[in-house]
Amino acid sequence: MSRIGVFICHCGENISRTVDVERVAAQVGNMPGVAFATDYKYMCSDPGQTLLKKTIQEQKLSHVVVAACSPRMHEKTFRKAVESAGLNPFLCEMANIREHCSWVHENREEATVKAIEIVGMMVERVKKNRVLPAITVPVTKRSLVIGGGIAGIQAALDIADCGHEVILVEREPSIGGHMAQLSETFPTLDCSQCIMTPKMVDVANHPKIKLYTFSEIELVEGYIGNFQVTIKKKARSVDEDTCTGCGVCMTKCPQKKIPNKFDQNIGMRTAIYVPFPQAVPNTPVIDRDNCTWFKSGKCGVCQKVCGPGAVDFEQQDRLIVEAVGAIVVATGFDLYTIDEKPKGSPIKGYGEFGHGKIPDVIDGMTFERLASASGPTGGRILRPSDGKEPKQIVFIQCIGSRAREKGISYCSKVCCMYTAKHTMLYHHKVHDGQAYVFFMDARTPGKSYDEFWRRSIEEEEAVYIRGMVSRLYQKGDKIVVMGSDIAVGVQVEIEADMVVLATAVMPQKGADTLAQKLGISYDKYHFYSEAHAKLRPVECATAGIYLAGACQGPKDIPETVSQASAAAAKVMTLFSKDKMEREPIVARVREAGCVGCFACKKVCAYGAVEEKEIRDRQGNLIKVVAYVNPGVCGGCGTCQATCPSKSVELDGYTDEQIVAMIEAL
Amino acid sequence: MKKLLNYAYYPGCSLHASAGEYDLSTRELFKALKIGLTEVPDWFCCGATPAHNVDELLSLSLCAKNLELAEKVEGDLAVACAACFSRLKFTQHTLEENATKRKQVEKAIDAPVKLDGKVKHLLEILAGDLGLERLAASVNKPLAGLKVACYYGCLLTRPTDVPNLDCTEAPTIMERVIEAVGAETVAWSHRLECCGANFTLSRPGVVIQLTNAILDSAKAAGADCIMVGCPLCHGNLDIRQKEIEGVYKTNYNLPVFYLTQLVGLSVGLGSGKLGLDAMIVSPMPLLKEKGLL
Repeated sequence: MSRIGVFICHCGENISRTVDVERVAAQVGNMPGVAFATDYKYMCSDPGQTLLKKTIQEQKLSHVVVAACSPRMHEKTFRKAVESAGLNPFLCEMANIREHCSWVHENREEATVKAIEIVGMMVERVKKNRVLPAITVPVTKRSLVIGGGIAGIQAALDIADCGHEVILVEREPSIGGHMAQLSETFPTLDCSQCIMTPKMVDVANHPKIKLYTFSEIELVEGYIGNFQVTIKKKARSVDEDTCTGCGVCMTKCPQKKIPNKFDQNIGMRTAIYVPFPQAVPNTPVIDRDNCTWFKSGKCGVCQKVCGPGAVDFEQQDRLIVEAVGAIVVATGFDLYTIDEKPKGSPIKGYGEFGHGKIPDVIDGMTFERLASASGPTGGRILRPSDGKEPKQIVFIQCIGSRAREKGISYCSKVCCMYTAKHTMLYHHKVHDGQAYVFFMDARTPGKSYDEFWRRSIEEEEAVYIRGMVSRLYQKGDKIVVMGSDIAVGVQVEIEADMVVLATAVMPQKGADTLAQKLGISYDKYHFYSEAHAKLRPVECATAGIYLAGACQGPKDIPETVSQASAAAAKVMTLFSKDKMEREPIVARVREAGCVGCFACKKVCAYGAVEEKEIRDRQGNLIKVVAYVNPGVCGGCGTCQATCPSKSVELDGYTDEQIVAMIEAL
Repeated sequence: MKKLLNYAYYPGCSLHASAGEYDLSTRELFKALKIGLTEVPDWFCCGATPAHNVDELLSLSLCAKNLELAEKVEGDLAVACAACFSRLKFTQHTLEENATKRKQVEKAIDAPVKLDGKVKHLLEILAGDLGLERLAASVNKPLAGLKVACYYGCLLTRPTDVPNLDCTEAPTIMERVIEAVGAETVAWSHRLECCGANFTLSRPGVVIQLTNAILDSAKAAGADCIMVGCPLCHGNLDIRQKEIEGVYKTNYNLPVFYLTQLVGLSVGLGSGKLGLDAMIVSPMPLLKEKGLL
């Protein structure tokens, strides 16, 4: 006979406001098999857990039901408490009377009756729970970091410094990401290259970091501790081991007018190129779409001039498989463009700004390249249209951000600060120029941030106008900016020489495709979702995958670096043990009933079903049955629902248990 | 052979008064294009700007009743005036979204509200239902060499998500229509700016300033004339043009056509059927110079 203990949580007032918890306890206490039932204000608190442990021992409980929040929130907490009281943790179940009951109902009487039924169902289910021994799986102590911007670099260095091997995969020909494009950084105005490039070199020289640039993730298989990742290393057309990085090929390449993406297409590059002089690795890549050799089969100058003979036109894309135990996703961000967007895109673009057709209307990143000492203008602020120095410059914040009608409702977080920085850089470089900023609010929460913003107004003479811009249009060689100053309540018109738009931070293009390969979730904008917004901000809901940087949401550099180090710490926690325990909620095959149809194998999303031969003592094959590898099984139960002979069942969710729950209603 | 097009026609008050040439040219153009147009029997004022400023329920009810009347005529509802178009579309949108208001309106007009009838501006009919290819095929006298500044004003495309005529901030429907009949269009900055609308009576100073900016911008872009789809914009740009020229000591001489007048010219309709003599800034010298009359 079971001796079940039921603990009803008030969750402060979250549950007790709508559910009469005392009545639930009283009624459940009378159910067959229940030896004890009580209610308590906060079951998850220390006194709550002590109450649970003490009662298990005093009442000699055989099973436990905690009626509280969602098991996603606290199942682990209570199972741990139950285990420390000497009971197998899988004899404890949670009844969700918060998300499934008190939060969604208003009528106290009806909610109370429903809560009693939910708890009653779990009582019937827990009666049939088995003692489950923990499953241990080996951990491969190597990790994969996807994305070689500051987030990926920081995470890779932290993990590698702890002695674990890191595979760093970057889509572009060089690591560095967006931070390498920036000129100076807020709030200290130190040069981005100066603080970034040493880290890039550290990555290249680290004995524990294996770097794959110009590479993409093709396929991810396996599970926490045991992933197999297929990486596509795109053909660089230059052999990385042979190339010395002398750069002769680039000086001789006849194609010199190709817009350089790294310079936001205002600078030009050759067809064989490194994106920027400080690139890591310093190995050029041939842009096959623009190379004369690949277009017409003629030229081949780079190959002729290359001393070591590193240029290889025949090079093919290669697939490499790496085994890793943990994955850090650090794919970063992209910027909103004001261009006309394809039909069906939730992003609308800015027709009122000419859909990006006015040449001297640029985005913030382009301004960074203009201001950068290593940029296409050598750090001089010049207009893309005619190369003249702009004397009146207008910065407009919140382009795309906080504009629901344009498809985005969130704040991009970094633009207020970088626009303040831009006004300063402009003032330092164009002494007789005047900067204007149109803004909705100045959002500067961060150490020394507000002081920085005030400095741009008080010392660097930027004129801040609170209000937005309704239209931009070209008039001669000026851009007329029509906006409003809502502080004074007047309309403003400025004839500007250049306009800089603080465009919204968005996830990288293709973020959704990568997420699907990894099996992680993302929001409607394609930012990756963390497991818990407050308490598990760097973990994905998918075990063994962690997030760093702006792929999870807009972030500045300090925050990105913190998150990257946090993700690295999570990886190290996983790597601190040789084997890890897995939840033993897995499917088991009843071999006697299995007819070997392998319908389960076809539907298994985790590839956990294997074929097992059953032989007699003489070694004669009797039959082939399904076998579920407990290390791989994700515990989803699809096989159970599919099996025509009902020969596979998921522990804790057997047909018998589900029928018992229904009967309890 | 595709079924011939047929529409219920809601002219609106302006087209029976100050914008008579818009009404005349619309009817003549549709006749020439062999598109059926049946005036909604007993239609009345949509309430325009005054009604929705004073009483939302009144404004919604006036439009809902007109929509109900329009149901009696076969075909979608064709609307020429930008303000009527805006109010009718707004009513459909509001009553679709808001069940409470819908009930109030049903009580006020003492009839169930039906929202499945389509309300279409003339531009949508020409560019969409008829189609630019068929429109181009009807041209007898291409408007070659005529540089047109297409002026949208406020109501044809705004606010986002209500009229759904074209892109709110960078529409092209007017340009597409007039280019299909052989005219050139100019790229100019003020095609979506407000003309001041009915402040023309209460604050003429403001309207003169706003309208001057529009005329100035069209002229600077090299336009020969302006094309509109709104009687109020037409009034401000055409009737006030002489006055503006006086105030700003300048000379624009920009005829302001309704879209149906220009398209009508291209299909071969004469001045009398298009009401060209009703225009204050006479288009005759321009049209003669371009060989269009």
